[in-house]
Amino acid sequence: MIRFFSKIWDGFKEYFILLFLIIIGLILISVNQKPAVKSVRAVAFGTFASISSLVSDVVNIGQLKSENMRLRERNAELMLQMNKLREYGIINEELKGLVKLKDTTSYPLIPVRIVSKSLSTSQNTITLLGGSNNGLKPGMPVVNDQGLLGVILSTSNDYSIARTLKNMDLKLTVKDERSRLDAIMKWNGEDLVMVNVPKTYDIKPGDRIMTSELSSIISIPIPVGIVMELSKVETGIFNEVKIKPYVNFARAENVFVVGIVESKQKNQLELNFFNRK
Amino acid sequence: MRSDYFIPLIFFAVLLIIQTTVLNFISINGIVPDLILILLVFYSIKNNQIYGMVLGFVFGFLFDLITGSLLGSSVISKTITGFTAGYFSNENKREFYLSSYAFPLIVLLCGIIDSFVFSFFSSSDLRTSFVFLMLQQGIYPGLYTASISIIVVFFMPKRSFR
Repeated sequence: MIRFFSKIWDGFKEYFILLFLIIIGLILISVNQKPAVKSVRAVAFGTFASISSLVSDVVNIGQLKSENMRLRERNAELMLQMNKLREYGIINEELKGLVKLKDTTSYPLIPVRIVSKSLSTSQNTITLLGGSNNGLKPGMPVVNDQGLLGVILSTSNDYSIARTLKNMDLKLTVKDERSRLDAIMKWNGEDLVMVNVPKTYDIKPGDRIMTSELSSIISIPIPVGIVMELSKVETGIFNEVKIKPYVNFARAENVFVVGIVESKQKNQLELNFFNRK
Repeated sequence: MRSDYFIPLIFFAVLLIIQTTVLNFISINGIVPDLILILLVFYSIKNNQIYGMVLGFVFGFLFDLITGSLLGSSVISKTITGFTAGYFSNENKREFYLSSYAFPLIVLLCGIIDSFVFSFFSSSDLRTSFVFLMLQQGIYPGLYTASISIIVVFFMPKRSFR
């Protein structure tokens, strides 16, 4: 009997080991959201990022960092201000011209630098030089002077990992700035698309897309991209709207984290409202 | 830890730093060559299939932890890649595989498998078609990685196999 099993093991041990390792891999996938795994991950990427930031410094040594930072911060502030004004302009045109909207919102910007990027076709992530010690929290939007880059996924003391828009796991509610229509936007591995858009929706190529106030992740208006084309027009009842992002993800180096996290209290309140009998 | 595994881990750390900092400048449409894959294929051929699988598992685990991708997705893809590359670990042909045009072709095959499996497990969008996954997320990254692996063939010292 032992000889029999020994013979099987000798003949197929590579396959048994492969199967064993794949099963461990599947178990790891299932424990992704466990707090212990998250804390191990925070330590791992924090350690690695501290080394890669040194290399990143050498790579970027030719840049005039401080001046760039100041100008980019100014640019980002102006971008957010301009977008806010654009919003106000459109609302004014829509019967609210005489209503004075009080600006009670100010967006704190935390300057951070990208120390490494993990570019893949489905799971783009960036590591930022700035963590919980700098006031960064999971859920905060990452922007630059062009628009939205992504959302912070996880933080350690000094570093953070953010999912970019080119990550299949990040889905955002966005809005057409002109027609004020909302839809879900996601990365399909090839393009940034608004999915399940009814054919009756008034969305045209060239329209600006921004984050929607309906979003439970980012509810302040941040520019995302511009409508390129409508696909699946001939078939079905829904269109798919391709969006060209404003941000060049490969070139982005210095970015800002908008220091706001969507209020859980607000989400719970809305949820309770919808659930009430 | 045995030096058999220790030295590849040092190379892994160095290549991962290069991959996440420098290689972004040569990305084509968001696709970057996978240096870790080239390293894994090299060591899998140089040693054996079991070594390749274990090394792939370790590389994948560290890669997932460090880059923030779905923990387990690279573990599975790199383990399967090590298994595939290990098929070419033949004592008589090892030198030929590592120092000829065959190496980029093996990297291409492994790159396609690795990218495809990684995308399959890390993508939450199950409506994405198989053909799309194969083409966009398998062949293109595989081709780019294989073309970079030609450099390894040029700089490979012949005496290292004897």
